[in-house]
Amino acid sequence: MKDNKIGMHTFMALPAFFLYAVFFLYPLTKGIGMSLTDWDGISAAKFIGLNNFIKFFQDKRAINDIRTTLLFALGSAPLLNLVGLAYALLMDSKIKGKGIARMIIYLPAVISPLIMGYIWYLLLQPSRGFLYHLMENMGQADSFLNWTAKYSSSMLVLILVNVWQYAGMTMVVYLAGLQAIPVELYEAAKMDGASGIKSFRYVTLPLLVPSIRINVVTNIIGSLSVFDIIMSLTGGGPGYATESLSIYIMRMCYGSKTGYSTAVAIIMFFLILVPVLISMRLTRAKSLE
Amino acid sequence: MNTFKKMLIYLCVAAICLLCLIPFVILIILSLNTPQRVFYEGNMFLPDFYFQNFAEGWVKSNIGTAMINSMIITALAITIIIIFCSMAAYTIARFKYKFNTLIFAIMISCMMIPGIINTVPLYTLMIDLHAINTLWGMALVCATLALPQSTFIFHGFIKSLPRELEESAIIDGCSWFKSFWKIVFPLLKPASASIIILNGFGIWNNYAQAVFFLQDSKKHNVPQALSVYFQQFAGAKWNLMAATAVIAIVPVIAAFLLFQKNLIRGLTEGALKG
Repeated sequence: MKDNKIGMHTFMALPAFFLYAVFFLYPLTKGIGMSLTDWDGISAAKFIGLNNFIKFFQDKRAINDIRTTLLFALGSAPLLNLVGLAYALLMDSKIKGKGIARMIIYLPAVISPLIMGYIWYLLLQPSRGFLYHLMENMGQADSFLNWTAKYSSSMLVLILVNVWQYAGMTMVVYLAGLQAIPVELYEAAKMDGASGIKSFRYVTLPLLVPSIRINVVTNIIGSLSVFDIIMSLTGGGPGYATESLSIYIMRMCYGSKTGYSTAVAIIMFFLILVPVLISMRLTRAKSLE
Repeated sequence: MNTFKKMLIYLCVAAICLLCLIPFVILIILSLNTPQRVFYEGNMFLPDFYFQNFAEGWVKSNIGTAMINSMIITALAITIIIIFCSMAAYTIARFKYKFNTLIFAIMISCMMIPGIINTVPLYTLMIDLHAINTLWGMALVCATLALPQSTFIFHGFIKSLPRELEESAIIDGCSWFKSFWKIVFPLLKPASASIIILNGFGIWNNYAQAVFFLQDSKKHNVPQALSVYFQQFAGAKWNLMAATAVIAIVPVIAAFLLFQKNLIRGLTEGALKG
C-alpha cells in the first residue's frame, strides 16, 4: 500500500501531541527552570541555583511531609493489594449474587475521594461524629479515642479510609487476573499433588503477576500523590503533621512561593519514579520465570 | 465440610458488602435529621425524616451550578480525548513514521507522572492563556492528563483490527483519513466505552486540579463547591452537610449503576492490556 504517500493521515497524531505539548510537556520543562528561581508569582524571578532544594531539606515541615507521604504509601499500597486480593479470592468462588456483591464493593471507588473523606469525617469526628454519639448512647463516650489529636491515629484513619475506598478497585483487577487462569492448570497441579496453599503459590501467584504489576504501580502512584482524602479528613492536621507533599505544593504555591513549590514537585517526581521503576523491574523479572 | 466452607464465604462476602454500605446508610440517616436533633437520645438509627435539609443544602451550597459545570467539563474533556486519541492511535498503529514513534514514546514514558507534578507551572501558563476559572481550560487540563493512557488503549485496540478493513476502501479511492472515520472509528466503540468510563468519574470528581484552576465560585465543580460549602460550617450543621453530600454523590452513583457492567469490563480490559 501507499503508506509513504503524505496525506491527512500523516498528521493525525498532531492534535493530541499539540495539546500534550502545551499543557503537559511545556509546563513540565518550564517547572524545571522555575525551580531554580525565587519567583513569588508576581515580581521578577531571580536565579538562585539549587537553593530551593537545599531549603527543602532544611525545612522541618517538608521533611515531615515526606515522611507522611511515604508512611501513607507504605501503609496503603501493600494493604490495598492484600485486601483486594483477599476479596478477589473470596469472590472467585462459585457463589450466588456475585455480580451484586462486586458492584457494592466497587461502589466507593467511583465517589470523589474528597467527598468520601467528608462522609467519613461525619462518621468519625471526635465528640461530634456518629460513632462518638453511638458510643455515648451506650455509655462508652469516654473510651472514644480522640484520633485527630495524634499523628499515629490520624495516619491510621487516613490509610484505613483509603483502603476502604479503593479495595474494590484492586479486587476487580485481581478478579480479572484470576478468571484468566485456565482451570486445567489447577487440575494439573492437583494431579501432581499440589493443593491449597501450594497450588496458590505455584499456579495462582505466578500467573497473577500482570495483575499484581498493575495494582502495585497504580497504588504506588496514587498513594504517593494523595491529596483529596487528607484535605477533607484531617486537613493536614494536627498542625501540619498529616500534610502530604501534594498539599504542601499547593499551599506553597498559594503562599507566593511559586519557585519553591516547583522544586518540591521535582523532588516528589523522583520520590514516585524510584519505587515505580523498582516495582516494574521486579514484576517484569517475575513474569519471565 | 464443603457446605460449611460455602457458608463461610457467603458470610465473609456479606460482611464486606455491609462494611462498604454502612457509611452511606449513616450518611442518609444524618441527612434526614432535624437541626435540633439530640443524638444521644433515642434510637440513633431512626432519623427524623426531615427532608427540608435537601432543599436548604441545594440552595445554599451552589451545588446545582457545580453539577452543570462538572457536566460541561466532563463532556468536553471526554470528547477531546476520544477524538484526539483515536486519531493519534490510528496513525501510530498503522504508519511507522519516525515522529509517530517519537510521539508515542514520549507519551508512554510520561504516562506515570501524576498531574500534581506540573500543576504549578501549568497554573502560571493558564493565567497567561486567560484559562483560569474557565470550564474549557479545566476540560483541556483534564483531557491532557488522560491523553497517554487513552492513546495507549486505542493503539492496542486498533492493532488488533485487520488492516484489510481499510485497504479495500483505499483501493476504491478513499483516503486513509476518510477511511479512518468511516470504517475504523465506528469499530472503536468498545475501546471508547472503556475510556469514557475509566476517565469520566475521575474528571467529574477532580479536586487536585480544580482547587487551582476553578477558584471562582461560579465555576466550581462538584468537589470544589462541596469543600467550600463545608469549610464555612467548621463541623456544625451536620444535617445540611450530610444532605448536600447525598445530593453530590447521587448522580455519580446513578451513573455507576447504569454503566457498572461496562465499567468493570472496561476497567479490567483496559487495565490488563496496559
